[in-house]
This record gives sequence, structure tokens and C-alpha cells, in this order.
Amino acid sequence: MTTLSSPLRTTTAAAPPSSSGPRRRARRTPRDWLRDGGLSTLVIALPMILVFGVFSWFPIGRALVMSVQQTNLISTPEFVGLDNFVFVLQDPLLGKAVANTLWFAVLALVFGYPLPLAAAVLMSEVRRMRGLFSALAYLPVVVPPVVAVLLWKFFYDASPTGVFNTIAGWVGLGPFPWLQDASSAMPSLVLEATWAAAGGTVIIYLAALVGVRTELYEAAEVDGAGVWRKIWHVTLPQLRGVLFITLILQVIGTSQVFLEPFLFTGGGPNNATLTILMLIYDYAFGSSLGGNYGAATALSLMLAGVLAVLSAIYFRVTRPWSS
Amino acid sequence: MKSAQKRAAFALVGVLSLAGTLTACGSSSDAADEPEGPVTIEVSIDAGLEQAAIDAFDERIAQFEEANPDIQVETKEFTWSGTTFAAELAGGTLPDVFPIPFTDGRALIERGQIADVSELVAELPYADQFNPTIAAAGQDAEGNMWAVPIAAYNQGLHYNRALFEEAGLDPDNPPATWDEVREAAKAISDKTGQAGYAHMTQSNTGGWILTTETYALGGRMTEGEGEETTATVDNDATVAALEMLREMRWEDNSMGSSFLYDWGTINQDFAAGKIGMYVSGGANYPNLFTQNQMNPDEYGVTVLPLEGDDAGTLGGGTLAAVSSAASEAEQAAAVKWIDFYYISKLTDQEQAVAEAEVAAETDQPVGAPALPIFDRETYEQQQAWIKDLVNVPLENFAPMTNQMFDQPVIPEPAVATQDVYAALDPVVQAVLTDENADIDALLADAQTQVQGLLDRS
Amino acid sequence: MAGNNRPGAGPAVAERGIVSSHDRRRASVRGSLGVLQGGLLVTLVLAGLGPILWLAKAAVTPTQDTLRQPLGLFPNGIDWANLTTAWGRAEIDHYFVNTLILAVGAWFFQLLVATTGGYVLSVLRPRYGNLIFGLVLATLFVPAVVLLVPLYLTILDVPLLHISLLNTFWAVWLPMGASAFNVLLVKRFFDGLPREVFEAARVDGAGPFRLLWSVVLPMSKPILGVVSVFAVIAAWKDYLWPLLVLPDPDNQPLSVRLPAIAPYLELDVFLAALAISTVLPIALFLAFQRLFLSGAGLGGAVKG
Repeated sequence: MTTLSSPLRTTTAAAPPSSSGPRRRARRTPRDWLRDGGLSTLVIALPMILVFGVFSWFPIGRALVMSVQQTNLISTPEFVGLDNFVFVLQDPLLGKAVANTLWFAVLALVFGYPLPLAAAVLMSEVRRMRGLFSALAYLPVVVPPVVAVLLWKFFYDASPTGVFNTIAGWVGLGPFPWLQDASSAMPSLVLEATWAAAGGTVIIYLAALVGVRTELYEAAEVDGAGVWRKIWHVTLPQLRGVLFITLILQVIGTSQVFLEPFLFTGGGPNNATLTILMLIYDYAFGSSLGGNYGAATALSLMLAGVLAVLSAIYFRVTRPWSS
Repeated sequence: MKSAQKRAAFALVGVLSLAGTLTACGSSSDAADEPEGPVTIEVSIDAGLEQAAIDAFDERIAQFEEANPDIQVETKEFTWSGTTFAAELAGGTLPDVFPIPFTDGRALIERGQIADVSELVAELPYADQFNPTIAAAGQDAEGNMWAVPIAAYNQGLHYNRALFEEAGLDPDNPPATWDEVREAAKAISDKTGQAGYAHMTQSNTGGWILTTETYALGGRMTEGEGEETTATVDNDATVAALEMLREMRWEDNSMGSSFLYDWGTINQDFAAGKIGMYVSGGANYPNLFTQNQMNPDEYGVTVLPLEGDDAGTLGGGTLAAVSSAASEAEQAAAVKWIDFYYISKLTDQEQAVAEAEVAAETDQPVGAPALPIFDRETYEQQQAWIKDLVNVPLENFAPMTNQMFDQPVIPEPAVATQDVYAALDPVVQAVLTDENADIDALLADAQTQVQGLLDRS
Repeated sequence: MAGNNRPGAGPAVAERGIVSSHDRRRASVRGSLGVLQGGLLVTLVLAGLGPILWLAKAAVTPTQDTLRQPLGLFPNGIDWANLTTAWGRAEIDHYFVNTLILAVGAWFFQLLVATTGGYVLSVLRPRYGNLIFGLVLATLFVPAVVLLVPLYLTILDVPLLHISLLNTFWAVWLPMGASAFNVLLVKRFFDGLPREVFEAARVDGAGPFRLLWSVVLPMSKPILGVVSVFAVIAAWKDYLWPLLVLPDPDNQPLSVRLPAIAPYLELDVFLAALAISTVLPIALFLAFQRLFLSGAGLGGAVKG
């Protein structure tokens, strides 16, 4: 090897003498690269580069381009400036979809935020069978979401003999219309979504509760604090970080909700459960004979802008934790 | 070092073979043109069929291949959906022959998104015998037939005879006016606890049925032709139809508790005996029977009550189209398949009997009446050929068959049909799920929206 | 994770929670705590386990019993045939196999990309490594919804190769491989491995491939387990993407197929099909409970 490389070295010898030494990186030739295992490294890096390149970076770039184009897959795309964004912003359904999505997010917080926290705090005080508690809480999370929705759709049968209406009947309530009414459809969706997701939140809180500094409880007890005051003044403040994280995660998740409205109600009744992602889907795949892909990507990008801000906050908050 | 290189080489081989497989996957679709030798075509088969129906289909394929030794037929489950059609076309995953509804034929032909097989079709002996209003659905502006009408329907009022009897109604004398429909619905829901009259509302079917009811009351959703088309969604007949639904839903409470039906789910609930009456395509019986195990004795169907000037029954149908990705040889084979499988059973005694025999042997319905795609004479001739093999309770269809030829059939709105229907879905849903829905305001909104759709296309 | 391992803290103190050990000895506190926890247990059983048990029951109950007495327990006996009918006639077996193929392929590609990627970024560290790491991290900020349409069009016409992956399993496997979260997770784990071991292996003449295969991977079983389980679960759950890229029912997984066949199946058979689809994820959960319920649960939540 050295004999082969020496002629090359002499040609570059005009450079200032050995002050930088032979290992100066700027002078690396392809041959050096090869010798140092550069090719092997590249081969090992290939799966990542190819998969991310083709199925992540390229489509992201494409989204930016498509949002200013009119395309129907058949004829060549045409540059239309900001027309797609204007079209989306002028769509009367957009306001409805945004409002519905926010409504879903708010309901999801009301149903899905305090309950898992209360359950986790209570479970953290369990001395025996804690595993059983958390396994039970987590079980719905592993049920495939489609199965859960289809099952609950049957439970939500609005006739008096429906499963939930039968149960409600035992205590003299109902029958409720559940999905069949514009005002109760969304809460019904959120109820199922909460059932399906709450277990994961409980586990996160449980993990965080392990880290609560217990000497503070003793300090509080010295001050004569009861259980409630200990929870309020010691436990919750220390969970602030994780509470904030789950809040953001939940908002990011709920703003992309699709499965529940798509399978439960198809966005109905009367668009009462039409969400932003359903609207994107409808633009791209819902209109007859070829979709409005430009409008779909334009709306996706607008949603992404909002979500990117939330994600950035999320990563700022989590960084001190994970490193 | 050596082993590292070997591994690098191995990894590269892996990546290359991966790429190779990918290419192979892509080119395995029917891009290759082979003028010589046997042609293989892929034909579509309905989704969700019982094994017996699949067997019947395979039997017909065997007969076809015997008659055409140089054609191989493969099947592919296919359900028409306008939403993924463009993508399937671009992705080359369409079967060579597939059914499309009348509503989308014109648009596909105008955009050249299906193969122009009009020269091949023109050579078929019955090419000029189609009912002209029906033939128009598969023709371009010059009258060339790109897609072949294979079935037609007029909307009908389907009813459950068992529920009629339970409610003290006469199943042989179904309602003949909309007032009688309303009374019957109330009786059924009061006496049996099931939905008296149910309505589709989802996936554009709400607009489809509302348009049907509008036609039956003498209204139209659009007026004019081509670029001159204007929306007339807020017409008096539509208002009356929605008002009737509102009364049945909120005053009589005779529409049950499910208001998010689409075509598949309403069929399912009707077959399960949860629905007294509903409006859908008149040729629905085979689906109810083969896909939802409907008890034939409980099934009844009649024509829609027509009221007011200009009232008519909405009619539509299905075209058989050939993929624009098919080679010339495949197109020719595809048209032969259309002729054999879809048409010959209507025009040729031998084929009609052969088809009926296969169906009867496999317990598939034979002789369920449908709106003829040719003239009435051809239709009655065909029914006579297979008379001995008929296994559906024809008397249950009598209220329909006795009257359907006397009713004017009105085609669906010609421009952006599915989009117009989609705009009307929320209107129907609102009336059925919101007691205080403002019908006039809803229709005014829909009117603006539909006019916008028409202007854009 | 501070509190637990403070030097000098006795085990009794470290084990304590909000209620002090002293309070726990008081009857009133123990009583109300017991009632609360008992109530929680009952709620969890009813809400968490209830619907799943109901599904298991309904899967072997005739349709009419389920409709007339949805909460009755086998008023007319058990109908085991539902399961075989669903498995065979409703072709759940076929879609089950599709789901398995999708899950295994997605698992393979996620693991391949995450381990090789994490290895390159953490151990080999080429000069372009930082650039790639930055680009990979950036994708974490791009929500999946943005990719929906452009990725779909990419599947229809893959750049460079100009082929369509529509209706092939590749269309699901490969995009799932592009998980920045996995790469990050594995890279972090590799970062924590002792460098001396790598150096020793290099001195022994191990090239980059052997280093990965014989040294790094065997030391990384915990993280590979985490990535694997979540890869399989994620593939099992996926709905919208396979719905779009696998329009041919022959290739569809259970999640896509179940809603589509619902209108054609009798209720009892349909519920049996739902139950069958739930068995494997629940079995996985029971087998790897610790993994699910430990901190990795956070990972699952992030990936949604």
C-alpha cells in the first residue's frame, strides 16, 4: 500500500512540509477513504439513506412543491401559486373541520387527562398486585384500533336493545342516540378514543410518580399536611413536566384524528365529526374521479406548521429528561 | 478484512436483489405486449361473495376458456370506487375488465381514462339494439360506445313482507302513494318496533336517494346540459321530500334509530329484518340474497309512488369498461369476455340457459327481474328461455314487474353526479338527526355548493 | 429517577408513597385507601377487561342471542362454529397471514434501518454522519399527515426506479422503515455502549460488519426487543396507510379488511373475526408485559 501511495504523495509535496503530518484529513484521497473502510461504512449507511431518502425526505420536498401545483396524476402538473391555499382557506368546510378537531381535542382532554392521573396516583399507592392494576389499565391499548372502533360501533347501537342502551336502561337512563345525533356523536367518538388510549397515559404517569422525591412528603407531613395537600403541593408540582408532555402529545395526536370519525360516522351526521385529517383525505381520495392533491397537501402543510411548533416545544421540554 | 469485504459484497447483493425484485414487481403488470400466443386477461369479480357464487363464476370462466382456447382468464376482486380509480389507473392495478356505474361513464370517456373499444363493440350483433337512453351512458359525444351497458336498474321500494304481515299490512298490496308509505312505516314501527322506513345517508347514497325521492315528486336536481347545467337543488319537490322525512322521523318516529346507513349496511339491516321499507336499486335482490342471506319469502319490492307532473323513477346502471392499460390483444379478449359473461345470457338462448343452469346448480338466484338494457321484447324472451330454472319467488316481484314498464325512467344528474350527491348527504343527515334542522337553509347552502361544483367541472 | 437511590435512605423510606407508613397503620386511612383501590380495581376490570371479555363471549354466541340479550351469558348455548366459519369461510385466515407478513416485513426493515443507521451514526461516524443525523432528526418534526399524499404518489411512481409499489407489501414495509424515532432510540443505546470493547475488536481485526454483527448487536438485545415489539404492534395497528396502498383485497391486512367485510358477514361471524384479530396482540402483550409497562410505554405513546 505504501509503495502505491508514495508517488501521489510526492506530487502534493509542494504543500508546506510535514507540519500537518500525513494524516491531514483535508488531503484525503478517495483511496484513503476506501482504505479507512469508507465504502463499508457507506454500504452500512445505505439502508438508512435510501429508505429515508425515498420515503421521507423526497416526499417532504414533494409536499412543498405539490402545494403550489395542480396535479391529477394524468396530465403534467401545473404551477398555480398559492391557489391551493386560497381554495382551502375559502372552503366552508375548513372552519367546521378545525372547530370539530378542536372540540375533539378539548373533549379528549376533559375525558382523558384527569382520569388517568387520578388512577395513576391511586395505583402508585397500591402495595400488592400493582402489576395487575397496570396490566388491566393497559389492556385496551393493545386491542387493534380498528377492532376497538368496530366493537364500540356495535355497542353504540342506538336502539333500546343496543349494548350501552341496555346498560343505561338498568339505571333508568336512555336510550341515547350516541353516534346518530350531531351533538352526541363527537363525545361518543372521544369516549372510545379515551378508552383505547388512557392506559398508555396511566403508564407514563406511573413511571413519573416513581421519580417523585419522597423526602418532600415527610417535610409536608412535618407541616401537618393531609393527603390532599400532599398531592396538591408535592406530587402534582413534581409531575409538571410530564403533565405538560402528555398534554402536548395528546394535542398532537388528537389534531391528526382520523380512524374514529372515518369508521364510526364517516364525518357525519351533517359533518359534525368531520376532522381536519378527514378533510385532507376527502380532498385527496374522497372526490369522485381523481383527487385534489394540491389542496390536500396545502392543508397538510398548514396543519404541519401548527404541529411543528408543538413538537418543537415538546422536544425542548423533553431534552433535559432524556439526555 | 476479508470477511468484511465478503459481507459488504453480500450486503450489496442483497440491495441489488431487492431492487431486482422491485422491478420485477413493477413489470409483472400487463405492460408486455405479446401479439402471438395466448392472451391472459384479468376480469373483476364482486367482493364478499359466498363460495357458491365464486364457484359459479369459475364455472363460467371454464366455459369461456373452452370456447376461446387462446384466452386465459384470471379473476380479481374489484369494487368500483371513484375515489381510488385514478390512483389504480396510474398504478396499473386495475383488472382488464371492470364494472363502472353509469354516473362515472361519461367523465371517464371524456378524459380517455378507459380504453376506446368502440370499434370492437360496434361489431357485436346487438350493438344497435340497446335502449337508447341506456346506451348513452357508455357513449362519447359522437355516439361511439366505449363502455357496454351490462345492467340497468330503476329505483324501487323494497319491503319486508314478514314485517308487513306482523304490522297487519297486506304484503301483496304495498303502498302506492307516499302518504301510504308514511302510514305503513308508522304501522310497522308501532307494531314491530323495527324501523318502518329507513334511509341511506352516507358515502353519497344520501344524495342518491334524495334525488330519487325528488324525481318521484316531480323535481330535478339540475337543469340544462353540458356547460349550461345549473343547479336546482332547492326545488319544491326536494323540500317536500325532506319535509316528509322530517315528519316520519320526528313526528311519527317511524325511521328507527340508525341514520348513518350506506348501501352495504342498509342491505345488511334490511336482510336481518330490522327495516320495513327502504328505497334502493330495483335489482338489489341478488345482493341481498348472496351477500346478506336474505330469506326470499320475506322479500318484497314495488315501484316508487310517482306524484306530480314530470315525476319519474330514477334509473341508472352498470357499464363494463376495459382498462386503458390493456394491450390491443387484451382489449379484444376483454370485449369477448364482456360479450360472453355479461351480454350473451340476455340475447342468446343457449347462453341464457347455460348461465341459468350454473347459477341454479350453485343456489344462486335465477330470474330476479331487472330493468332491461335492450327492449322489453328481448327481455321477456330471455325470461321465457330460463322460465324452468327460475328459483326466486317471482310473485314477490309482481308489484314491481307489473308496473315498471309504465313508469318513465329519468337518468341521474349528468355532470359531477357523485359530487352533487356528496353535497346532499349532510342535508339528509341533518334532517334525520336534528329535530330543528332548517330545511330551506340547508337546501340554500347545498344549492350554492352544487352550483360551485357544476361551474368547476 | 432521583428519589429511589439516595444514599443513606433506608428501603422503607424509599418504598413510601404519598401516604406515609405511619398513616397506613391507621384503620381509617387503610379503610378509605382500600375502598378507593377496590373501586379502581372494579372500574379497571369493567372498563378495561369488560369489552374484551364481551367480545370473547359474543364470538361464540349465536347472532340472535347477541342481538336480543347483548349482555346475557349464552342463553342458548355456545356456538364454537362461529370461529371456524370466520377463520375459513370469511377468509380471516388469509387476511391474518397478510397481517403477519406485513408485520414481519415491517419489523425487518425497521430493525435493519434502525440498527445499521444507529451503528453508522453512533460508532462509525463518517463525516457526512452529522448531516444525515440532522436530516433524520428533522423528520421527527414532520407529522405523518404531511406525508400522506406525497408519499402515496411516491409509491405510485418510485423515484429513479419508476415503478409502482401499489398493491405490493413493499409499499407498507419500506415507509415504515423510515422511522426516525427508532434510529434515535438505537443510536442513543449504542452511544452508551463501552467504546473500549469496539477498539479491542478492531485491534483483533474485526471489520465494520463483523463489529456490528458479532459485537454491537449481541450487546443490544434490550433495545432490539423494544424496537421489535413496537414495530410489530405498529404494523398490526396500521389502518389508513395500508388502506391507501393495498386496494386489492387479496393483499389487505385484517385492519383494512374487517370494516370492508362487515356489511357482508353475519354478526356472530363478524364478532368472531374481531376476536380472532385481537388474540395475537393480547398474547404479545401478556408475554412481554414488562416491556410494555416499563418506560418503553412512553415510546409507544410517542409513535402513536
